[in-house]
Amino acid sequence: MNQDLEKLISLHDLDIMILDLGRTDILQQEVRLGLSPDMALTELTTMREQLASTIRKRWMSLYAQITARYDNAVVPVIMQRCSGCFTRLPTAVSSADDRNEQVRTCPTCGRIIYWAD
Amino acid sequence: MNRSCYCLWDVQSTDRSAAMAELLCSDPGLGEHTRELLLRALEAREHAGATLVSPGISMPHCRSLLVEDFIVILGRSRKGVPWPDEPARLIVLFVSPVKPSGPQEHMELIKHLATKISESGQKLFKARSEEELAEMLGFRLAGSGTDEPGS
Repeated sequence: MNQDLEKLISLHDLDIMILDLGRTDILQQEVRLGLSPDMALTELTTMREQLASTIRKRWMSLYAQITARYDNAVVPVIMQRCSGCFTRLPTAVSSADDRNEQVRTCPTCGRIIYWAD
Repeated sequence: MNRSCYCLWDVQSTDRSAAMAELLCSDPGLGEHTRELLLRALEAREHAGATLVSPGISMPHCRSLLVEDFIVILGRSRKGVPWPDEPARLIVLFVSPVKPSGPQEHMELIKHLATKISESGQKLFKARSEEELAEMLGFRLAGSGTDEPGS
């Protein structure tokens, strides 16, 4: 898998974790379990910044543009459809051998797409 | 809560990352790349704060766009896996999918586990089989019924 794509997926997962720990209901449950979500949130934010600094500007810019429009900037392709907008992808895109070897976007919604193994 | 789970009855790994990787390998539905990226996400969460929720019980978890359905994997370690300061003899690993409806179900799963762990406490270590452990935590062991894991 393309390294930029891997980093964008990891960045998205970190953003989800950060978002979750910012929610009062999840925070309360984590505290109930004896965890320290406040500390974790600070650490995750630092890790996010570190990871973002290793991603090329063009991809960070694209990621920022997509997150300004949608909650999910990176989505898997499921049954040859973008799982963000559910549009069927052109055969040339979904059948390409190197489909995860470059950062690709959905031709319809513009979200970054990847194929799960 | 009637989700199914996988269970690794005798975790061999002796460190946290290796144990999580070992547990992820027990789910046959996960491809190599997905496993690697999930491990990265779980490691990030652990690095931010170890998830030892009760003496001897750890709960590595996250929500990830890499899964379409819930993944729950239980692991039991006789010697205990350093987590990192205290040994975890029971590992409850779960990954929730990212759904358009938000993290409500993820929150429900955390709440469910908090209740079960609080209710059962040390009894969890006395489970005699994978089925019994899964049942004590309110799950169904994958393969023991007709439903698919995560359902």
